[in-house]
Amino acid sequence: MAEKELKSIITHLQSLKPNTLSTAPSLLSRAKLALLKLDALIPSPKTSPAHLELAQTVLELGAFTSIHLRDTDSFTRYYQYLQPFYSLQTGSKHGRGKKGGNREKVTGLYLLLLLSGGDYAGFHTVLEGLEGSGEESEFIAYPVRLEQALMEGSYDRVWGETKGERVPSEEFGVFSEVLINTIRSEIASCSERAYPSLPISNAKNLLFLDSEGAVVQFAQSRGWVAKDGRIWFPEQEAENAAAERDVVSASGAVIENTLGYARKLETIV
Amino acid sequence: MADKMDIDAVNGDKQAEAVAPVQEKSVERIITDNFILLAQAVETFDARFTLRALRSISTVRKAKNTPAPILHGIRTAFPKPDFSARKVLESVLPQKGEVLQNGSSTPVKGGDEEVIPEIWSYLGVLVQVYLYDTQQYQKGADFSDKFVDKLRSFNRRTLDPIGAKAYFYYSLFHEQLDPKPPSRQSPVIEIRPKLLQAQRSAVIRKDADTEAAVTVLLLRSYISTADITQADLLIAQTQFPSTASNNQVCRYLYYLGRVRAIQLAYTQAQEHLVSATRKSPTSGPAIGFYQQATKLLIVVELLMGDIPERSLFRQPQLESALYPYLKLVQAVRVGDLEAFLKCVETHSAQFRKDGTFTLIQRLRQNVIKTGVRMLSLSYSRISLRDICTRLHISSEESAEYITAKAIRDGVIEASLDHQNGHMLTTPPKDAYGTTEPSEAFHARISALLGMRDECVMAMRYPMHKHKQEIAEAAKAREREREIAKEIIEGEGDVDEGDEGGFEGM
Repeated sequence: MAEKELKSIITHLQSLKPNTLSTAPSLLSRAKLALLKLDALIPSPKTSPAHLELAQTVLELGAFTSIHLRDTDSFTRYYQYLQPFYSLQTGSKHGRGKKGGNREKVTGLYLLLLLSGGDYAGFHTVLEGLEGSGEESEFIAYPVRLEQALMEGSYDRVWGETKGERVPSEEFGVFSEVLINTIRSEIASCSERAYPSLPISNAKNLLFLDSEGAVVQFAQSRGWVAKDGRIWFPEQEAENAAAERDVVSASGAVIENTLGYARKLETIV
Repeated sequence: MADKMDIDAVNGDKQAEAVAPVQEKSVERIITDNFILLAQAVETFDARFTLRALRSISTVRKAKNTPAPILHGIRTAFPKPDFSARKVLESVLPQKGEVLQNGSSTPVKGGDEEVIPEIWSYLGVLVQVYLYDTQQYQKGADFSDKFVDKLRSFNRRTLDPIGAKAYFYYSLFHEQLDPKPPSRQSPVIEIRPKLLQAQRSAVIRKDADTEAAVTVLLLRSYISTADITQADLLIAQTQFPSTASNNQVCRYLYYLGRVRAIQLAYTQAQEHLVSATRKSPTSGPAIGFYQQATKLLIVVELLMGDIPERSLFRQPQLESALYPYLKLVQAVRVGDLEAFLKCVETHSAQFRKDGTFTLIQRLRQNVIKTGVRMLSLSYSRISLRDICTRLHISSEESAEYITAKAIRDGVIEASLDHQNGHMLTTPPKDAYGTTEPSEAFHARISALLGMRDECVMAMRYPMHKHKQEIAEAAKAREREREIAKEIIEGEGDVDEGDEGGFEGM
């Protein structure tokens, strides 16, 4: 009887329209309660395959809804819930069909989440654990391409990828905004060091902003000076001068080191 | 071997076994001699005897009819056939031992009850080695399960080195069972709780050998199933014993380096791997470890942006193993993206086997960065379009972004001119004017001084020698005093003689 309830919740969830998504969390908690009654929330050798499938569907739906609702914490929680299911799946060589597809989608979304948070170490750790089988899937190749482009620094590629046609599915599109903000701040910090000054129109293209007003606003938020139609970046030479001064101020360290050497040499008979 | 000559001369009746070659007798003799060594180890509480006994395992392994000497050894140690310990060991070996029954072997100890556990566990390890060599993995896994449980119950310090070996083979057997790692269903996951328990008890009992061995085995199993976070937690929460043997330290450093490399902490990884390569044996059968550690070290150095030296590849032991990596380094050094991709494709199977494939894929941006750096070094001003063509980048915009990022990351010292689409290199500053040289010297000096301190602390003096020294010093002083007295008396004589006619100065 809990099964029937579960199945009805699932169909309800799958038919939800985007504007009614706020009701999803309550439905999901009811679904999780039903799973607990069936002992299927945490997979064990005793759970039947049908229950496992139901549990997996529920959790995956939960993951997708939290993406739509932009709730990163709950998405991470659902991802952790799903991990034991996926490791059981590799062992018993289950379907390469729909189930396989969803798994890669969820993993790809998690990778993208790590990327937009700048957690490259976590990104690579998860990538290592994929056993190389997920490389062919588009859902996983997308974050991998993005990461490559980000590390190289070819931000126009990142821009192109997030701009619509190449995005594998709408859930990935949710991350596009966050990603664009990330790369914008990256480009900004790069430009500070690289250019002595920039005309505002060029800055507009570089930073993927829509209007000159937006450029000026952005410049002010970063502390740049905007006048005469150009943006002037704060002096980088101040940093260099500080580095130069180190030689003199480092004499304290040099003296300390040399005294240390003398002491140690004395102990060598 | 000298042993062969002795045995042939002394044990005349053993000549009757003309079927078996001379080699076999010495192997049996080795095993029985080891019993004496183990007994000595227990009496003197000195681990060196146990280590000598364990070192002979590799010779025993190579004997031609392996189970026979082991059976002989078992029968020598446990003369009564219905002793439970003996039955446990014999049950896994094929019963071919009738031929050797008439050997002139004398039991090491008088009665069964006095057989020390060390001998039994030594024989158990020999059995494990035999099962592994004959690839009876399932049998070996089951036997090892019970074996390590029994060992854990003993809690004798003299048993520690043997216990460490037993755990090693236990883990090795389970690795060979299907499904093999990196699958998540692999049996290595099931033995983790046992290994963790063993590690905790080893810490409590202050059993450095087992602790080191089990920590290394745990790290190995975590890395094989790509559970890097768990490996990281293990490293953070445990302290590797400082008195562990050099081999275990090497292994530990290697696994530590691998975990750090995956977590993008390249500097730390490089430190660990450099220590691992320095401490590892560079000759003999263990050279495979040196090769693997060097391969990982090369990839980590490339990821850090340094190019490993050519001399590294010329060492004779490494030349053939490192050939794909040589090609890789050459591609990265020039900054040639196409050559890099081609090299990765051709040797991908080798890289996957070494476990460095995922790391090498991260090298892509290094190739580009190196290319940008080469260009900035050679040109004082270069247009972005030229950068595009040389680095095979798709568009000028990309080239602009890439160079800007490279400047920000400190890879090159340059500035961009957006109007004319140029990159202008700033002339390099004089490095000797900064504190860089003194910092480099300081690092090297402190490393050497640290090494000297470690050597001094690691020097071992034989016990009671100092008493002898004191005695000798006392004797020397006595002699000196006598000589001094004689000189004084002699001088007195000489003085008397002086008046006799010594025409000194």
